[in-house]
Amino acid sequence: MRKKDILAITTLAATLTAGAASVQAATLDDVKSRGTLTCGVSTGLAGFSEKDENGKWSGLDVDVCRSVAAAVLGDADAVQYKPLTAKERFTALVSGEVDMLSRNTTWTHTRDTSLGINFAGTNFYDGASFMVMKDLGVSSALELDGANACIQAGTSTELAIADFFRQHGMSYKAVTFDTSDQTRQGFESGRCDFLTSDGSQLAALRVGLSNPANAVILPEVISKEPLGPVVRQGDDQWFNIVKWSLNAMIEAEEQGVTSANVDDKLANGNPANKRLLGGEGELGANLGLESNWAYNIVKQVGNYAESFDRNVGMDSPLKLERGLNASWKNGGIMYSQAMR
Amino acid sequence: MKEFEPVPARPAPDKTVGPLAWMKENLFSSLLNSLVTLAVMALLVYYIPPVLDWAFFSANWQGTSEDACVREGACWVFVNAWSYQFFYGTYPVEEIWRINLMLVLLALVILASFTLPKHIRLKASVIAWLVLPLVGIALLDGRLLGLPVVSTDLWGGFTLNVFMAAASIIVAFPFSFLWALGRRSNMPFIRSVSVIFIEFFRGVPVLSLFFMGSVMLPLFFAEGTNVDKLIRVWIVLIFFMSGYMAEVFRGGFAAVPSGQYEAADSIGLSYWQKIMLIILPQVIKVSLPNILATFVMLFKNTTFLLIIGIPEVVQTLQTALSNSYWLGGHALEGYLFVFLVFWSSCFSMSLLARRIERQMNTDKRD
Repeated sequence: MRKKDILAITTLAATLTAGAASVQAATLDDVKSRGTLTCGVSTGLAGFSEKDENGKWSGLDVDVCRSVAAAVLGDADAVQYKPLTAKERFTALVSGEVDMLSRNTTWTHTRDTSLGINFAGTNFYDGASFMVMKDLGVSSALELDGANACIQAGTSTELAIADFFRQHGMSYKAVTFDTSDQTRQGFESGRCDFLTSDGSQLAALRVGLSNPANAVILPEVISKEPLGPVVRQGDDQWFNIVKWSLNAMIEAEEQGVTSANVDDKLANGNPANKRLLGGEGELGANLGLESNWAYNIVKQVGNYAESFDRNVGMDSPLKLERGLNASWKNGGIMYSQAMR
Repeated sequence: MKEFEPVPARPAPDKTVGPLAWMKENLFSSLLNSLVTLAVMALLVYYIPPVLDWAFFSANWQGTSEDACVREGACWVFVNAWSYQFFYGTYPVEEIWRINLMLVLLALVILASFTLPKHIRLKASVIAWLVLPLVGIALLDGRLLGLPVVSTDLWGGFTLNVFMAAASIIVAFPFSFLWALGRRSNMPFIRSVSVIFIEFFRGVPVLSLFFMGSVMLPLFFAEGTNVDKLIRVWIVLIFFMSGYMAEVFRGGFAAVPSGQYEAADSIGLSYWQKIMLIILPQVIKVSLPNILATFVMLFKNTTFLLIIGIPEVVQTLQTALSNSYWLGGHALEGYLFVFLVFWSSCFSMSLLARRIERQMNTDKRD
């Protein structure tokens, strides 16, 4: 009986083993032969990777997966999403369970150098920031001397806020909570004057307030949290593909190419438009992709501005300002390396 | 001759029957009791109407989006809109009959294992139970049956909890029986291996086992092999369960009188004949209540799968709560729903368990 069971389990495991993706081989070939991209996303983060009632994934991080799928396979929907927790994300990537990770992961020196992974760019510049009630009449974080702060315990924000206040010779009193939900309730019931957390989280917390219009997010960003897609080390071609798929979205915004006018730009645009969209030059061939790789991205996913507005910006419930994430042409730091 | 006519029985005095007498006897028998009764009633009157009002009278029932939740009470629209995900995960709608068929099969096998005619019941139901997980996985995955493949990352919701619990306990059953036998063995090597295995899996929290399955196990595999995450935690669950069930069986073995073993030996049965024909049927009968209790525990433990991102029902709920169109704080409604679903399934399981126990209790009627 025992032998039979062991046999049963091993055969089952073998039949269900997902298409044995080899870590050594080129990820590009694996993705092409499989016909889908496996992409590690968050299990649920408003605006970045979220599932709707019909099981459809959307979000700013999800759009990076979609753009890579559009570039490689010509179909932005050919993505298999693997929801991962923060603890297992790097193992899943390094062991080959996912082809890439787009899971609001902060690009830090330690991670980049010691985990066998490469960051392929930044798709969102996040950072700790402050939210206050409108009737407090505060317009800058420098006016918050002596205030009470609602903070979620054990987050990196705790450190950032202590540094910020000490640096400016101000004092504050911390009121710590265990979960972000409790933090929001504490803020709403007036236990503290301001709430501090990463900017993207603050937006989600604000939407949950009973009257979101009463709260404002102050302009100061006091810590650096550059978030971006991650790939395994040792496959430079795939690294290039992910890096330039993200750059293509950013570049398309700089050039004013949108999903609506992309056909027109390809036919009648300036040389830079044509180079990006595959009408001229061989940017696609250098990556090992079709010449219309970036055209597919812009056509099916949109440029960075469209993705931002749809998922976290003014067209979404989160209503985040572009801020640092505006194109460098509009005073932000979102910048694509030269597309030529 | 005049026949004897008994005086008809008189009704009991009013003071001792009827609701008033009952209340006097049970609620107001002393000053202290009366005070406690009044205090409890006051509390109920104070707290129940607002709860009912929130849950029913001013709750929002109609609609498909958060905007429909305009009234003060609970937003059941949230649970309603996400109910498909809560039950089936992201399993494709057109393939949903496969999950439903699987649930029906599970119910049929449960029913068969205590309604079939006695002479074939044991054999038939043991075979049915062992075949069920294989059929279930073939059906849900679809590859072996030539159906469209539904990869495991689309499985989810409450049905995933049910399948993980059922599939792991069924496979763990024969294993745990062997571990329990091993622990009673006279051979030192087998005995110590069994003891180490059982005590390891009983002594380690299931959460850390899940972490090992999801984070550490992949690092030990040869490069290129990529065992599905669900399979990995399934194997972990099987080990965990067989550790627990082995102890349940050990209790069962100890409860069988030694005369039974000696009698089997004296008529010349081999070791396996003795175990399978004489001991095992008695062990199962004795251990059944504990097996079912262990199953209920395992069933609830499957919600821990959320910490490694498996989209079972609580994970699906948390994903739903973080959707940017549902950020208005529906955690209470969502968790109440999960509570109700789990409570009703666990309660019906214990009702079923009691029924099976009564049926099997053939020798010691009380």
